[in-house]
Amino acid sequence: MGSVHARAYARMPGVELAGVCDANAAAAVKLADAVGTAGFEDAEALFAEGRPDVVSICLPTPLHRRFTEQAAKAGVHVVCEKPIANTLEDAEAMIRVCEAHGVRLFIGHVVRFFPSYEDIARNVARGSIGRVGVAHARRVGGHPGKASAWYGDRAASGGPIMDVMIHDIDFMRSVLGEVDRVFASERTAPGVEHALVTLRFRNGAIANMEAMWGYEGPFTTAVDLSGTKGTVRYRSDDPGSITIRRSLGEEEAGPRVSVPQSPLHQSPYYRQLEHFLHCIREDATPIVSAVDGYMALAIALAAMRSIRIEAPVRMTEYLEGKEATRVE
Amino acid sequence: MSNPVKVGLLGVAHSHARSYFRELSSLEEAEVVGVADDDASAAAAFVSGTGVRGYEDVSALLASDAELVVICSENARHGEHVRAVAAAGKHALCEKPLGISMEDMRSMIAVCKERGVGLMTAFPCRYLPPVIEAKRAVDRGDIGKLLTVKGTNRGKMPGGWFVDPARSGGGAVIDHTVHVMDLMRWISGVNPVGVYAEIGTLFHSDLSVEDTGILHVTFEDGIETVLDTSWSRGKSFPYWGDVTLEIVGSKGSISVDAFAQRNEWFLDEPSRTVWNYWGERMDRWMLKDCLAAVRDGNGMPITGEDGLQATAIALAAYDSARLERKVSVQGVR
Repeated sequence: MGSVHARAYARMPGVELAGVCDANAAAAVKLADAVGTAGFEDAEALFAEGRPDVVSICLPTPLHRRFTEQAAKAGVHVVCEKPIANTLEDAEAMIRVCEAHGVRLFIGHVVRFFPSYEDIARNVARGSIGRVGVAHARRVGGHPGKASAWYGDRAASGGPIMDVMIHDIDFMRSVLGEVDRVFASERTAPGVEHALVTLRFRNGAIANMEAMWGYEGPFTTAVDLSGTKGTVRYRSDDPGSITIRRSLGEEEAGPRVSVPQSPLHQSPYYRQLEHFLHCIREDATPIVSAVDGYMALAIALAAMRSIRIEAPVRMTEYLEGKEATRVE
Repeated sequence: MSNPVKVGLLGVAHSHARSYFRELSSLEEAEVVGVADDDASAAAAFVSGTGVRGYEDVSALLASDAELVVICSENARHGEHVRAVAAAGKHALCEKPLGISMEDMRSMIAVCKERGVGLMTAFPCRYLPPVIEAKRAVDRGDIGKLLTVKGTNRGKMPGGWFVDPARSGGGAVIDHTVHVMDLMRWISGVNPVGVYAEIGTLFHSDLSVEDTGILHVTFEDGIETVLDTSWSRGKSFPYWGDVTLEIVGSKGSISVDAFAQRNEWFLDEPSRTVWNYWGERMDRWMLKDCLAAVRDGNGMPITGEDGLQATAIALAAYDSARLERKVSVQGVR
């Protein structure tokens, strides 16, 4: 994600990259060189010498709070990757510290900037399919623990619900409103974690979301909503707008077929970051806020509680209680 | 063919009656002796132009030489009709849901057993090649140990007796839970244990039954499933609905879209899009299997117990929604 943010900023007019920081100095320098800026291995140095106006925090979730606080105290606006944090206590602290230091806090719920999902949100809001009754979302991909060990620590990463499904939780909340209650189930096996979460919204609509780590195919998402006046659906594995198939010689290695692509001039990540920077410049309200990030986390945590107690969890009670507002 | 099985149709209320009649009429292993309904005029209208006899009343069918009776009456009548067919010494193939209460279904099973006649529940989806291939893949161990299944059996709001609880026993949940839950039992080989349901009337606000159900059903061996049973397909949807399964195992996954074998038609007069399914006619293969069991004197391939187990999930779902918690399926009354 750090690379995605850096490369987007590097292309953005009116934006100058002040530095790339990573505890792994070699990795920081490698990315910094690729995007034409300085590399740092220490955040304090990044803030003191790079003197950024905005910092993108793309660290593992358990580190979001500490570095958001550090940035806020240095007077730097924060764009933080999702999930906002892995406890509601941390999420709230992040929101407060940024408020206290007069800096903005944005959370990277980038699915809101995917044009396929934007089309759905916009036209459902206009009433194209009437009142939504049932919605489905699916988000499945490989197991990230293979690339990066911290994902395997459930308390840190929250598993597929907090790491992957949280995108759909935020999206569904943006379309269907506040959630009344959550019921969830989950199964795991070595290399496979699969979660199914049902949200009952205050307006009566029902959404079921599926997320998986350890899917054998390419990363795939799907969403569909049915209402009183029609149905809309999107599947990322429908034939893409471009697929490249190569016939390879005997000695050539590499894939014969590229994953079907949906190319855009500006990626959703670019548009998201551009939007956040615009909101800083213009002091405008973003389409997705830090509070939205907090609420998505709360729903994800409630789902994990539901799995543990094998019962529905009511959101108002969960938010008031806060006795179990971390990964269980 | 020598000695086709003589078959009668009892009740024409269910939409599948027409399909069963058509298939039976063209299967050489069957001879349709007649059609009966509590409403004699409905039976007469059904057979009009076919040359097949419409009985003046149900007892006339029961007194006939039919060996097998296919029951397509409203859900609430299944119990009475199965018991009457069994009392007449005939085998029964009964539409789903088998019945609308546990007591009713238990009695149907008991009476048939006592009378030594077969009772089959109509679950035609077991005869769809993609579903059969999925079961074979699971049985071979292609995807390892079963972990979860997400299924859908969505459809259009059928109206009529389907939305009159006195005749249907409920709405979308009792209508659409059973097919996929039967497939789950068949593919996994284990029984359902618990269910949590979210139910509502969300698409057609004037209905007195539910049109939406999202069920979380846990099976033995810890298999977790979710099923969408809703009547959520609207007028414009190009097909009646779907049966889909996403089966996740410890070593792989299987995606089934049971009615995906279709062509898309974009038509102008009138303006519409239609999906024309060209896959196997599941009703035909189910009926052939039933007829073979009757002819060969074997047990029915899909039993009354199968029908009861699948329906129990729907009944437990209603309890769950009412109690707002997970409930045991095996304990449902």
